[in-house]
Amino acid sequence: MRLRGFGGFATSALIAGAILWSFATTEVELSRLMSAGPRIADFLGRMFPPDPSVMAEIRKGSAETLRIAILGSLGAVILSVPLGILASETMVSPAVFRPIRTLLAFIRAIPLILVAMLMVGAVGLGPLPGIIAIAFHATGMLAKFYAEAIDGVSRAPIAALESAGAGPLVRLRHAIWPQMAPVVARDTIFRFELNLRESLILGIVGAGGIGFYIQTYVRSFQYDKAASVTIAVVVMVIAIEAINVALRRRFA
Amino acid sequence: MSTAARIDDLSFAHQGADLRALERVSLVIPTGENIALLGPSGAGKTTLLALLDGRLQGWRGRVSVLGAPLDPDHPPPRAIRPETGFVFQEFALVERSTVLRNVLNGRLGRMSPLRALLGSPTKHDLEIARTALADCGIADLADRRVDSLSGGQRQRVAIARCLAQEPRLILADEPVSNLDPTRAGEILSLLTGAARARGATALFSSHQPDLARRFAQRIIGIRGGRIVFDVPTSELSEDATAELYRDAEPMPGLGLRAVS
Ligand SMILES: Nc1ncnc2c1ncn2[C@@H]1O[C@H](COP(=O)(O)OP(=O)(O)OP(=O)(O)O)[C@@H](O)[C@H]1O
Ligand SMILES: [Mg+2]
Repeated sequence: MRLRGFGGFATSALIAGAILWSFATTEVELSRLMSAGPRIADFLGRMFPPDPSVMAEIRKGSAETLRIAILGSLGAVILSVPLGILASETMVSPAVFRPIRTLLAFIRAIPLILVAMLMVGAVGLGPLPGIIAIAFHATGMLAKFYAEAIDGVSRAPIAALESAGAGPLVRLRHAIWPQMAPVVARDTIFRFELNLRESLILGIVGAGGIGFYIQTYVRSFQYDKAASVTIAVVVMVIAIEAINVALRRRFA
Repeated sequence: MSTAARIDDLSFAHQGADLRALERVSLVIPTGENIALLGPSGAGKTTLLALLDGRLQGWRGRVSVLGAPLDPDHPPPRAIRPETGFVFQEFALVERSTVLRNVLNGRLGRMSPLRALLGSPTKHDLEIARTALADCGIADLADRRVDSLSGGQRQRVAIARCLAQEPRLILADEPVSNLDPTRAGEILSLLTGAARARGATALFSSHQPDLARRFAQRIIGIRGGRIVFDVPTSELSEDATAELYRDAEPMPGLGLRAVS
């Protein structure tokens, strides 16, 4: 996209203004920025060598993260099936799908970490608030994906089943579902990958999982242990991605 | 003589179209007759057939199908929809499902709601589906997915689905357009034969006057949304069909202004 004429000039001025404003009003002291280099180096130095003695914690934390992601995703799928149907123009009237879509957009607009903090407040520490937060947050996206999958199928077979006397749910099952199944599988796996990634850090606000140990070790200045857990998280993210690539190929 | 369909002074324009697709159409279709609908591209054949199937609303006139009047503003009740079967010009099959599944889809309106939802046909349903497959010469394709079939094979699946529905009125929109001449003859004789065997009525559209002559007792010519002729096959002259297709390339000026 190219910006032209006055519009282009105004946009550039706005961006420049925003940057200047950020510098001028935040206490970004240049001296501190200068000295940050050695301090970050020192910090990294204290992370090495990573302390391998925390394997038990890593195993326990990752297992919990995995459980949060699986149960959270399951919750999201259970919520997204009816909400996806109610958000699709193929299945319901505008009077239904418009408000449902607005609701989903609203859910998507709330950051996961905020939902998690609220849930910790509501139900206490541990994996449960993490599961609820993931289920709630992921539904905003997954239900929208499901609705788009329903609306993306070819209409002719739906009309054919209607002509044969099939009702709306029967049409959904036999004309729409076979067409949308690969899309649903792909979207669900994609959302599960996001859920797993995002649940890695939920522990930071006390919502369970491996993030809890990173937060604990950083707060108690045990940077070598924090480093081990961080490496474990990176390995998990890479593994998730590798598995996802394989799965995607399977469902292509 | 009972009638399978009666149309009185029917006019219809598609939503957003400024020309009428059907203009003051009147005709009577007696039960048990095989009737062909001829006409150039864009004449209104698909529109007329879909309307009789209860899939188009917002028309003017009077239409009754199998003894029940159609409501111009609402689709017919679901319970009577299996009575009219439709063979779609573009097949309208579920590509990722098997041939057998697609043919069983024709039975959905005849099953109990729970069986339909679960997709668990009775023995009777399966028997009818298998018979329809065999009649269309595609019994060996039952377990193939539709997206692996040729155009002609798909066409036969579409016909098998319609037959499995056991309709009393068969509306077939160019049911043999994708078949070689031999197969086309076979399928049309199957379709009209099946209709006759069960006392059903068949109305099929075609671009092939010779096939229409062979398989229909009556031929209706339609052009620009109007009925041009409606005669017993024996009375149809070569001139009339030639006239029907004359200059039948894109003809934007031929339609009429829409109902205001
Ligand atoms: N969904 C639609 N919206 C608007 N106009 C339509 C629609 N479907 C058909 N028409 C128009 O209605 C007229 C009749 O179309 P119809 O499909 O009934 O013709 P046809 O006789 O079946 O042609 P063909 O032999 O090419 O299948 C055409 O002018 C067409 O452009
Ligand atoms: Mg047509």
